[in-house]
Amino acid sequence: MIAIGTLLHVKQLSRSGLELTISLFIPIVQATLAVYLFRSGGESHRLLDAAVGAGMMGVWSSVLFGSGGAIQSQRWQGTLEMIMLAPRRPVLVLLPITLATALTGTYALLATLLWGRLLYGIRLDFVHPAAFVAAAPVVILSLGMFGLLLAATFVLLRNANALANTLEYPVWLVSGILVPITVLPTWTTPLAAALPTTWAARALREATAGGPVWPSVGICAGISLICLALGAFALTHVERRARAAATLALA
Amino acid sequence: MRTLRLLTVGGVIAYRALFNWTSPGMFVGTLLVGPLFQLLFFAYLGRELQVGDDRFFIVGNAVLASSLACVFGGTMAIGNERRFGTLGHVLLSPRSRTAVFLGRALPYAGNGLLIAAFTLTGGALLLGLRIPPGALPGMALALTVGSLSCGFFGLALGALGLRFRDIWVISNVSVALMLLLTGVNVPPSALPGWLAAIGQGLPITHAAAAARLLAGGADLTEALRPLGIEVLVGAAWAVLAALLLKVFEVESRRHASLDTL
Repeated sequence: MIAIGTLLHVKQLSRSGLELTISLFIPIVQATLAVYLFRSGGESHRLLDAAVGAGMMGVWSSVLFGSGGAIQSQRWQGTLEMIMLAPRRPVLVLLPITLATALTGTYALLATLLWGRLLYGIRLDFVHPAAFVAAAPVVILSLGMFGLLLAATFVLLRNANALANTLEYPVWLVSGILVPITVLPTWTTPLAAALPTTWAARALREATAGGPVWPSVGICAGISLICLALGAFALTHVERRARAAATLALA
Repeated sequence: MRTLRLLTVGGVIAYRALFNWTSPGMFVGTLLVGPLFQLLFFAYLGRELQVGDDRFFIVGNAVLASSLACVFGGTMAIGNERRFGTLGHVLLSPRSRTAVFLGRALPYAGNGLLIAAFTLTGGALLLGLRIPPGALPGMALALTVGSLSCGFFGLALGALGLRFRDIWVISNVSVALMLLLTGVNVPPSALPGWLAAIGQGLPITHAAAAARLLAGGADLTEALRPLGIEVLVGAAWAVLAALLLKVFEVESRRHASLDTL
């Protein structure tokens, strides 16, 4: 059910002009920006890092806006009641949506790598190529699980998209996606350690530039499983409350 | 006088209508906190890569902060009339639609100015940038000119909302491209000539250059040239917006596609 649901939502998201813009075009612009910034800073040897980092930024944007708005968009489409009536636990119905947003985020990663290769001649010299190929799907699915917690949290907030708009840059910054965590104020370190995006970015960076990939992948997956459990609990609570108060369909 | 009233009162009413569905939380989160973190992101990235000093990124991103309100506001000002089914009523008005729509840009430009000023203050306080007090009036002028110019740019994009259905794609792409092309994060000298040339025709580029000069202690007379160019760029976008609105209105009437979503 999760696999079929995910495939259905990936297909649906892949037909949306806005989703494709967020997943393909904007990451390419960000990758271009990162390439010129890294070149200006005399860091031409780190262009692959820049391309991977820009791709990860795209994955996070896709998860943040897609998962954060998952329930709201079902409301706007008028399908929220139908999916909540399904004789399955809410988590099983919504998880495919959040996984799909993470998977469409993969377009960003592929697009920035392809763009970098074709336009800027960036050689795809991954230190651990096999680990990169294996780690990328794991961290992306992990971010999809994190997305479920976002979806469950955002549904409690009337203006969830305001929070989504606010969270894009802070998470890019604190997770060390392009900016190393070491240059940030020390109080951000515990925050970074708690975010799966930090470990996801770190895993892909280590696969790209060298380092122990699997501990980062493991921590990312572990935090995301906790997020999945919390999200599932929150969804059950929210669904019961919405049914009791008859507010399920209220935007 | 009547046209001036139409420009200002009409714009304010449309702006207030927008706030029927938004809220203070959304305003603070999207338009104040978001741009401030964008500034911090690029300032820290700039520090790491040593592409420019803090002033380069703080002042540049503060001027660019207005683009969020101006570009999205401009596109929504026209696109939402169609979405909410009120476009026909506006176009039936016996008054000049050019004045009606150009007036829509003014509150968004004011909004953009507020956001830019907040982002500049927040960024300077958080990262410890000292701006000479004597530079403040000139910088206020640079932010105002940049916001107005960007407001008319947003309106030109909004005009496309009369022709194309997905205005969000247009506004998202434009904001992303401004990040790259206006020289606020990547120095124009580091971009290929053709990309830098596109940036010269975009709003914010020259206002950011002027604001940087002023923040660096330059005299207002030195900043007059980039400010003048920014005014010209803004005026060109205003004329283009008026033209596009006229053309697309006539086209949509002819093809009966005014309310097609």
